[in-house]
Amino acid sequence: MQALAGCRRFTPDMSTSGPSLEDFVNEVKLAVARSRSGFDLVQIPMPSALKTSGGSPLNRFGMAIDLDACNGCGKCILACMQENNVPLSSKERRASGQFMHWIEMRGGAPSMCFHCGNAPCEKVCPTGAASHTPDGLSTMMYKRCTGSRFCGANCPVGARKFNYDDAVKEGLSRRFNDQVPLRSKGVMEKCSLCLQRLQDSKHSHMAMLPGMEWRGAGVQTACAVACPKHAIIFGNWLDPTSPLVKAAKRRNIYAPAEVADLDPSVVYLRGNR
Amino acid sequence: MPELQPLAQVPFDHSLHGDSIGLDCNHCHGGAHFQGHAYMPSKKDCMDCHRLPLTEKPGIEKLDSLLALSGEFPWNHKKVLPEHVVFHHGLHYAAGVQCSDCHRPLGGADYRGGLAKGKPYSMQMCVDCHARKTFKDKDFKPAAVYCGACHR
Repeated sequence: MQALAGCRRFTPDMSTSGPSLEDFVNEVKLAVARSRSGFDLVQIPMPSALKTSGGSPLNRFGMAIDLDACNGCGKCILACMQENNVPLSSKERRASGQFMHWIEMRGGAPSMCFHCGNAPCEKVCPTGAASHTPDGLSTMMYKRCTGSRFCGANCPVGARKFNYDDAVKEGLSRRFNDQVPLRSKGVMEKCSLCLQRLQDSKHSHMAMLPGMEWRGAGVQTACAVACPKHAIIFGNWLDPTSPLVKAAKRRNIYAPAEVADLDPSVVYLRGNR
Repeated sequence: MPELQPLAQVPFDHSLHGDSIGLDCNHCHGGAHFQGHAYMPSKKDCMDCHRLPLTEKPGIEKLDSLLALSGEFPWNHKKVLPEHVVFHHGLHYAAGVQCSDCHRPLGGADYRGGLAKGKPYSMQMCVDCHARKTFKDKDFKPAAVYCGACHR
């Protein structure tokens, strides 16, 4: 069977040096303890296909955070750091409460980039590094980013994090996942909705089942997998069989007031459990 | 820098190992047709054929002795793809792209990686084909040209 002939791999150029896992655990604990105040939530309808041009009629990936299930433990933050090689922050930045974490606790629940369909950050990017995929992800192309930080200034919820420090040089970075590149100094970063997992799934699907539509079934983000309360649900808003649509059906869907008009893909659930 | 393998002493000739003896790329580079990576062959793959007396040429004795010296994985491979780029061999094969469309130095018969038609790989080559500007004689479908399709 050709598909199983995977025993020969390149040795990935992985550096095992860097901070210990415990350092990451401690930083997450600190960040959870310093949790910021919550958003003003407003009710929104279930996200539908992207209204911008070029949107896919089949896929729009997103996430729902169940506020009735979440207990704010912060395991999602750690899982995200390990999946996406998010670096630690320097002592000075940590002291002022600035972390590189793609997920932050706000009002006791995780918040990350809301992947707005009508994303204000992408409109002000001078290089096109911040761009949208047809299936609803607001992506960052790190090699294109010149660090103008316009996107960060235009994000209403402050979901974007700027690499002020060279994390690799200063020993703040650890390569947990060889599938995700490390970001360099002067580059903006944020939640990618585990883009790498979606890409891998899509590519194997296209290789093994050409001609069949790919709907992203079976893909989960690292934070959703790590959540002990199953409070984070990832899926495809346009696929009725997706766990996301099943979970959000008959629930009240909320978004922070700041992004409610911007067609967010990541939402909060509450009530009618 | 990995140690030079014993087999590096003899030049490898793809033209002796490919179509000429009815071998498909995927036979030695497992994964080329279905998986993300086209892997390098192991010694066992070489020995599938080389355990037999294949030719009367005088060089064969040297080759056999070097093969005997080789470890389980006789080939060093340097990845040319930057880590922020994903390339899946299998999906390109499924879309009808042949290995030699990209792996072919100009006019040469050797398919060694790192060169497409005699030039080093570049993003422009990918984009030109994805936007149907090159390979117009082939029946390829237009492919994705948004950043997030191939970059992470």
